[in-house]
Amino acid sequence: MTEEVISIGSTQNPVSGSNPQPAVKKKRSLPGTPDPEAEVIALSPKTLMATNRFLCEICGKGFQRDQNLQLHRRGHNLPWKLKQRSSKEVRKRVYVCPEKSCVHHHPSRALGDLTGIKKHFCRKHGEKKWKCEKCSKRYAVQSDWKAHSKTCGTREYKCDCGTIFSRRDSFITHRAFCDALAEETARVNAGSHMKNHAGHMNYQFSLGPNMGQHFSSIFKPISSNPQNIDPMTRGLSLWNMSQQPPQSQETICKNLQEMHQMGVSVSSGGAIYSCIDPPVNPCPSNPHSPSTTYQLTWDFAKNLNSSNGAANDQLSCNSLPLSNINVKDMGNHQLSGSVSSLFSTQQQSHQQTSAANMSATALLQKAAQIGATTTDPSLLGNFGLKCTENPIQNPVTTGLGSDFSALNHLQMYPSMRHHIQNQENITEGETRDFLGVGIQSICHPSSINGWI
Amino acid sequence: MVQEEGSSSFGSSPLHLFSMMSLSPGVGSPYPWLREMRSEDRGLFLIHLLIACANHVASGNVENANIGLEYISHLASPDGDTMQRIVAYFTEALADRMLKGWPGLHKALNSTKITSVTEEIIVQKLFFEFCPFLKLAYVITNQAILEAMEGEKVVHIIDLNSFEPAQWISLLQALRERPEGPPHLRITGIHEQKGVLEQMANRLNQEAEKLDIPFQFNPIVSRLENLDVESLRVKSGEAVAISSVLQLHSLLAVDDEMLRRNSPLVNKSPNAVHFQRVLQMNPRTLGDFLDKDVINTCGASPDSESSSPLSLPIPPKIASFLNAISVLSPKLMVVTEQESNHNGFSLMERITEALNFYAALFDGLESTAPRASIERQKIEKMLFGEEIKNIISCEGLDRKKRHEKLDKWIPRLELAGLGKVPLSYHVMLQARRLLHSYNYDGYKIKVENGCFVICWQDQPLFSASAWRFIRYS
Repeated sequence: MTEEVISIGSTQNPVSGSNPQPAVKKKRSLPGTPDPEAEVIALSPKTLMATNRFLCEICGKGFQRDQNLQLHRRGHNLPWKLKQRSSKEVRKRVYVCPEKSCVHHHPSRALGDLTGIKKHFCRKHGEKKWKCEKCSKRYAVQSDWKAHSKTCGTREYKCDCGTIFSRRDSFITHRAFCDALAEETARVNAGSHMKNHAGHMNYQFSLGPNMGQHFSSIFKPISSNPQNIDPMTRGLSLWNMSQQPPQSQETICKNLQEMHQMGVSVSSGGAIYSCIDPPVNPCPSNPHSPSTTYQLTWDFAKNLNSSNGAANDQLSCNSLPLSNINVKDMGNHQLSGSVSSLFSTQQQSHQQTSAANMSATALLQKAAQIGATTTDPSLLGNFGLKCTENPIQNPVTTGLGSDFSALNHLQMYPSMRHHIQNQENITEGETRDFLGVGIQSICHPSSINGWI
Repeated sequence: MVQEEGSSSFGSSPLHLFSMMSLSPGVGSPYPWLREMRSEDRGLFLIHLLIACANHVASGNVENANIGLEYISHLASPDGDTMQRIVAYFTEALADRMLKGWPGLHKALNSTKITSVTEEIIVQKLFFEFCPFLKLAYVITNQAILEAMEGEKVVHIIDLNSFEPAQWISLLQALRERPEGPPHLRITGIHEQKGVLEQMANRLNQEAEKLDIPFQFNPIVSRLENLDVESLRVKSGEAVAISSVLQLHSLLAVDDEMLRRNSPLVNKSPNAVHFQRVLQMNPRTLGDFLDKDVINTCGASPDSESSSPLSLPIPPKIASFLNAISVLSPKLMVVTEQESNHNGFSLMERITEALNFYAALFDGLESTAPRASIERQKIEKMLFGEEIKNIISCEGLDRKKRHEKLDKWIPRLELAGLGKVPLSYHVMLQARRLLHSYNYDGYKIKVENGCFVICWQDQPLFSASAWRFIRYS
């Protein structure tokens, strides 16, 4: 901390107020950790905020320090006297903040510098009277304001999306979230690897100071409480960082139990806020080597793109960038030859669990393509509507045939074809549908409607 | 000869295939080859069956629909993959619709149902936790409110469905950090359950005290359509904001029977008419009767695809609701709605739209919760399943889940005297930040005309838009 010169000795150039260079430069210590031997001074707010207590009687000019006033009086040819520095050892002084709720109010956290405590008081507990002209930032301390005005708008960083930043760190933080970047990375990275990687990135960036002036308080700095999952004690916020699966599962179960116990008055405590890290993906979490796994997925994507020609199923290309599950299973499915080596453990585990789990949205798209002659994706609707016309004319007979002719598409399903061929040998006598009713009865509407 | 005709069309293998089954129903899934079917093939098969079955239901062919449902029952399951689950719920809805053709039967089956209010509330909370949509809606709403209320000293927020304290707790925390200090905040929460509102009141009061923000919570136990605006007790000089998360669409419920009679697309098949008519309930209250009258005077066909938005009559409930709250001259209303058209006049239209929508929802849920998860099943059954049932099997005033896209909402709201406020970049930042912090992969937020559309992959799911009331001179 800078040594404040309390009194000026009888040297010839005291006016400049420059501090004589100490022989050994003292290192700046942590704020609020004072020397235990120091004398604690508690000034009132009035005193702290007071400026210019010392007034010249001639011209009325105010000075913060008596020495400055004395020097000024010389100019008026008035008698002046400068106090000498007291001969005995001056005890180190530390100051406490008069604001009771403040951390620095307690003597053990006192600040060692008078100017420091003045500025602290203004910044934290004072009104922000100074406003920057260019941006809307406000400051309580004039020197802060001046310092800011000098740099405001001077250096600019521009993101791809068009936003401008004056600070490098906020620019970097923004870029991490910026859409352009996110979309690109989402497209080339297979889900699970990105998940772990992103989890890491977000850890750091959530602490960015300029991210969202308003909600920044809600983001709890995870580094300070990695173990503390229970949000009840941490205060409540709309979102926490994603936690490790087993712990979050526990919290959810525990809190759900509480909810059940409380009956109608559902406990809306911690349960609501902790999120669930998807335990679906059995991906090995590799915090040690995120870069390598990242690299692997990149390679996979490249390989996939090159092998597009080979893969006949066009759905695989479309759905690849989309869901995690698709990727893994496409890996199972079509590309086992070229890229299975990249997916060592993960692929095997998935092969055991499920075979080709296409997402429902992908299935619907495919159905629309199969069920119609053109490639219009809204054809699923048309497919349905087309069939309505038949039943109206001939409610039962053609109806059943025509739309179950959709079942002709069964021919397309290779596994079905196999079975169809196998079973065609069975004799006609067994042609009964499984209702045991036989085909004839279907043609004659057994009018249940006749009931009414 | 009918019989011959019938048999000739059955010459193709597929039905032949089914005919091979000699086992009677009810023995469980007896078809080994079905089990060996790849899930992709099974999924496609299910889609075809579902559409075929739906067609039969729409045209009133009960027998064929029954056969279709029987086939589906061997393939679909609420425990299977996403397609199996979706089809299971859709077919349940179709069956429910069919059953309404025999009102006595339907009532008898549903009379002993135990509706657990606690379970319903728990499911809402589960939806909040497992899916990002509510969290996103709250973040967007809060940020928009913060921006609109800059400089205001007294803020009054009206929450049209107040059940999740987290929404307002985060707003309270954000208000604390305001440079000019927090305003005096009042929140009026509307919900049908008193217990839920009491819970909200406790949590919010607690939080506000901790943050030292002057705060008041007013509970209003009421259904949205019966809301008495006077009970909101808005005082002059307050800056009012309204948060509507997935609520407005229920006000679109009208008696479609009147509209159907006027529609040029009337289905003349006798079965169909019999079927549809039974589904319309006779007006039971004066309110219903008045609704009918208003629609008669409006007259125009409600067919959504062909007519221009301005020729659509505004359903009376929403018109009166918007009128009532415009009197409060709110500074901001943030509307979050499902971005899909489930309010089509014809059943098939609704089914095809709903299939795409719920497919994406189920896929999203699959990516965040394991198949064995009971919570996920609860959300699928009690939340999505019930919505699907409402969309498919209910008609008229009973059909509350009348989701519509932004391109219908925008002209409707503008006609009622609202002006759109584009959502700012900061709102987008907060929303994206939320998605990243939870590692919700696969979800995207797009901007369209100043409104946000939350998508799963490329399927739009929910929209969020902000509005202000323009005063008439």
